[in-house]
Amino acid sequence: MKIRALVLLGIVAAVCLTLLTLQMRGYAAGASDAVALVTTPIQTALARAGRGAVGVWDTYLDWKRVRADNRRLRAESERLRVEALRVDETLEENKRLRRLLALKEALPFETLSGEVIAREWGGWMRSLTVNRGRGDGVARLTAVIAPEGLVGRVVEARTGASIVQVLTDPASTVGAHVTRTRTPGIVEGDPRSTLRFKYMARDGAGIRVGDLVVTSGHGGLFPRGVPIGRVRAIDDRGSALFHYAHLTPAVDFARIGEVLLLTGEGARDVAGAFASDG
Amino acid sequence: MRTLLAMAVLGGGVAHTTLAPILRIGDVAPDIPLIVVVLLALRRGPEFGCVAGCMAGLLQDATGGGLIGVQALTKAVVGFTIGALGARLSVGQPLVQVPGLVLLSIAEGLARYALLQLFHFPAPLGPMLGYVVLPQALYNGVLGAALVLALAWYRALREAA
Repeated sequence: MKIRALVLLGIVAAVCLTLLTLQMRGYAAGASDAVALVTTPIQTALARAGRGAVGVWDTYLDWKRVRADNRRLRAESERLRVEALRVDETLEENKRLRRLLALKEALPFETLSGEVIAREWGGWMRSLTVNRGRGDGVARLTAVIAPEGLVGRVVEARTGASIVQVLTDPASTVGAHVTRTRTPGIVEGDPRSTLRFKYMARDGAGIRVGDLVVTSGHGGLFPRGVPIGRVRAIDDRGSALFHYAHLTPAVDFARIGEVLLLTGEGARDVAGAFASDG
Repeated sequence: MRTLLAMAVLGGGVAHTTLAPILRIGDVAPDIPLIVVVLLALRRGPEFGCVAGCMAGLLQDATGGGLIGVQALTKAVVGFTIGALGARLSVGQPLVQVPGLVLLSIAEGLARYALLQLFHFPAPLGPMLGYVVLPQALYNGVLGAALVLALAWYRALREAA
């Protein structure tokens, strides 16, 4: 080992011991001040560097935490939104089924509830497929209703499902009358997916916009008094034999989800089973 | 050499004031300047180790508010000793590094305690050894070994590149 290194160690030790001795004997007040003069700026710089480094690190950690929180909250929000939609959907379905049940109980004959499982909305024909068929006792021409009113009739009964021709189908016709004036006529489906009420001019003088049109019960296919729609506009054709009233359907065929199929025989006037406000 | 010395001393000081509080486990914080002095002394020899230890210790004494010169002397001795013995020790293995740093830290702690005793330091040796010197020595050993491994890995990466 070099002598120089040992000498250096000796000098360092001597300086340190002298410093310690001076401090213990109280001669180091000035020296402490001198040291403080040198060390304070260094300490300040170190503290700032430390705060800076820790600050950057903390900011990074905060950013990571916020990002993780953000991801978690976004997933939770997504889940809750789906949950809320499901709850809304369930509530809506519940409401619809309650109304259907109330109607089923109010009707004076046997019915069968069914779920709409498909829709044909091409224009040439408009129909719904219901998950009840021959196996459930459904026959061709069975009347199909909803809590709002008449839906249509079964045109094809299969084993486990039925095809229901809705009122707006261009080939659909239903005997009907206006409740206020008792004006008789026929409700026909329209290619524009609407309904029109065809009546004899001499009978329809008193028909007004807003009048309710219900089934007449003639022909024995539909019970009497089932709401079909309300008069939206009247097409006065002057001296023609027949006039037309355009109707707003009582049932929203595009949205309907559950229906009742009238499978049993019974009293034929069911107007009292439907909520009527005019 | 002066630049390296200044960087080492200041770097150790910065690390001690910034990293040590973050790395604290319970009440035990590593003595980062001691680790830096040991690593430098191993590579640079006893003179550099002695001066680096003295400067780093002096900085710690001055910033710590205790008796100025205690850590300067003990770290200078540690730096000198490890610098002198380094060439003869196989310090590349973690199995040597961890116990080596632990023993050095204990030695430094005991030397500091002995020095302070000369100046009427009131604390008894047992609790100081049990609660301060030994836990810190263990921590220094693990952290120092990790640092050595990280440096070796970095060097290997550079050589491969």
